[in-house]
Amino acid sequence: MILAGGRVDELNVLTYYRPKSAVPFGGFCRVIDFSLSNLMNSGIEQVAILSQYRSYSLINHIGTGAAWDMTGRYRRASILPPFTASEGGSWYRGSADAVFKNLDFVKYQQPEDIMILSGDHIYRMEYQDMISYHHEKDADLTIAFTKVDRNTAQRFGVAIIDDEDGNRGGRIQEYWEKPEKPESDWVSLTVFCFKPETLYRALEENQSGQSFEFGRDIIPSLIQQKCRIYGYKFCGYWGYTRTIEEYWRSNMDLLGENPSIDMEAWGIRTNLEHRGIRDFQPALIGDGAVVENSMIYNGCIVEGTVKNSILFPGVQIGRGAAVENSVLFFDNVIKRNCRLNKVVADVNSTYGEGTVIGPELEGVPAKVTVVGWNNQVPNQTIIEEGATIYPHLKNGQWLRHVKNGEVLR
Amino acid sequence: MIRSKEVLVLLLAGGVGSRLNILVQNRAKPAVPFAGLYRIIDFSLSNVMNSGLTKVGVLTQYKPLSLMSHLGTGEAWDFTGRSRGVKILPPRTGSRDSDWYKGTADAVRRNIDFINANPTDEVLILSGDHIYHMDFDAMIEYHRSKKADVSIGMMVVPKSEIHQFGAGITDRYNRIIGWEEKPKDPTTNLASMGIYVFDRKYLLNALARNNDDVDFGMHILPWAIDNDNVFAYPFYGYWRDVGTVQAYWEANMDVIRRDSGISPQQWGIRTNVTTAGMSADRAPARFGSKVKLLNSMISSGCKIMGHVENSILAPGVIVEEGAVVRNSIIFTDCHISRRATVDLSILDKRVRVGEQAVVGAGKNFKTANRLKPTHLYTGITLVGKGTEVPAGHKIGRNCVINSYIREEAFPGKVIEDGESLFPDGEIS
Repeated sequence: MILAGGRVDELNVLTYYRPKSAVPFGGFCRVIDFSLSNLMNSGIEQVAILSQYRSYSLINHIGTGAAWDMTGRYRRASILPPFTASEGGSWYRGSADAVFKNLDFVKYQQPEDIMILSGDHIYRMEYQDMISYHHEKDADLTIAFTKVDRNTAQRFGVAIIDDEDGNRGGRIQEYWEKPEKPESDWVSLTVFCFKPETLYRALEENQSGQSFEFGRDIIPSLIQQKCRIYGYKFCGYWGYTRTIEEYWRSNMDLLGENPSIDMEAWGIRTNLEHRGIRDFQPALIGDGAVVENSMIYNGCIVEGTVKNSILFPGVQIGRGAAVENSVLFFDNVIKRNCRLNKVVADVNSTYGEGTVIGPELEGVPAKVTVVGWNNQVPNQTIIEEGATIYPHLKNGQWLRHVKNGEVLR
Repeated sequence: MIRSKEVLVLLLAGGVGSRLNILVQNRAKPAVPFAGLYRIIDFSLSNVMNSGLTKVGVLTQYKPLSLMSHLGTGEAWDFTGRSRGVKILPPRTGSRDSDWYKGTADAVRRNIDFINANPTDEVLILSGDHIYHMDFDAMIEYHRSKKADVSIGMMVVPKSEIHQFGAGITDRYNRIIGWEEKPKDPTTNLASMGIYVFDRKYLLNALARNNDDVDFGMHILPWAIDNDNVFAYPFYGYWRDVGTVQAYWEANMDVIRRDSGISPQQWGIRTNVTTAGMSADRAPARFGSKVKLLNSMISSGCKIMGHVENSILAPGVIVEEGAVVRNSIIFTDCHISRRATVDLSILDKRVRVGEQAVVGAGKNFKTANRLKPTHLYTGITLVGKGTEVPAGHKIGRNCVINSYIREEAFPGKVIEDGESLFPDGEIS
């Protein structure tokens, strides 16, 4: 079961109309494709996606599930939105509540194990290995952990794992959700493998409480009950994109000679029907084009300069324009002589001639500028670094000069 | 009388296309890759889809495997659903022994049961090996308004090329009053595009007339023109028969030339992206930091570290640092190693060019291929599927390097202009 409902405030403009899991990533796909492809490559083909916040984009994206081979007699990708029932019904009040509300669905499948994972992370993991570990230990719950710098650990679930199995994992001794002073470097990836009875019981007990989250409520209560809870140690790349700065940095991890994210080696698949990207022809690189250390998908037309950047399908870069350190989502049109430096641009916008965003080229500025979708940026507009532009601004709302860090809405 | 919208489509996809040389060694001509992501047949299939026609029979014969896997369920062209469908119609054993299709009309005649099983007022017969964009719906409307028995899609071509086509003479109502099949001394420049709308009953009668009438252009159409109502449907857009290596290369180059009139994307051309090796599994193209690019088309999954100029790269092509690819068409998953050069060449799938090797060396474009002087005479060199060109070797102009030749089989360091190399190391 993939938890895909969340909206994250820091990604603000990008999650205005879509859940975070549906945010574009990697030059052609969406964040949730990493979890879905991991599931496909691990041979797990009974998948449910719990979705609540503006599900439309996500429903479109999942389609029939065929892109991840999740169609067939025993294979399926189901989307489970909140629903009303004869005794009322309500929105999902938290991740644990979302799963609880769909226990009928879960029990009907008679699962041997239940995996619950977040659809918001960038990583490649062989879930079967974690499931084997879960079986070997006869655990009630196994949680995947990765090591981070302790200074950043307070934003995650943190655990002390004993060294029962060295690098592979061990029994969890202590667990804190988002502790102020972390006492360990091991943080939770929000990848759980449950024994079904343990999950059913824990969710039912949790219903009498006030809060309904796996990290905050379910895990601590299972630990208190002295259940067999194991930590599975994961040491690959883990992209956690909660802020726009982190999101930009994860994108840059796709570039370079030996990128930390290698989507082909990881077997990442996406739904090419979504936004019709299958219908794009190969990228056209015109005569005036200069391309350096970048990623460009089919359907792009490049006649200007593109450096250290990622262009999603259908992006057009006009003559004399230069784009550096930027991530441009689907179907953006950058007109002649624009200069974009460190910009994350949501879909379907046109940047009028001579628009300048971010500081002069050469060198990476400190702050990312984010532009929401469906904007028509007037010619010669100047936007300083770190600005935030809301989606779909009306003509009269535009300024000639948007200042450093300003929010235009 | 209200006519149903439905028109049965028969797509003739059996052609050998032998003038495409080794590109059709393992596949039928309609299955030859085109413009990076596509295959030639995608153009006909997409035109059918975009015209709103949904019942299609594809008549195959020659090396159909690659074509069949490409068609799949027909889902890529929206041909799946209750009343929609694409059927592959291979030759079957008839009541007598000679079972292969003897010509275009013979192929259709042998599938009369398919036509009867899908009774529509008209039947649209197409060839699957042309590059063009056409609205068949408008042609069918035209056919109906002219009350024609047969309508033929026709366009003006240079007189020097008319000898490859069926040629028609029309009156001022576009009625065809004279026909010359592949004329040596043409009296007209109006060429048949091999696109016919037949009234179904008329077609069935015409096919029943004489079983020795095996070809539309040679037998059925001349008779119909002499005796019945045959109209020319004029077409003015981009249309190419890519039946020769030269025409194939030029049409590909048209795709990267502005204003050439061909644009697969704007034409709404679809392909099957889930066939093995196509774009479904490919990430965006990646470009290194010492790249030089000029006027090229580059597909997803490519890794470009070198220099690419006036070329078309299919998915998954790797161009290492210092390598140069110029005026060439490169099929999927080819690998051009460091400081190698590929010039004016067509590389079939999974060709590996070793370090500092040159494919298309020298400036002698005039020595035609010795074995097939009519195939290769302008300097284009062909390298077959899966061949490994050893490091440091030089291959000249108008050469044919056959498929699956291992490094060890290369006899010397140089393949001269116009020579062909075979897997056993023989040069001719």
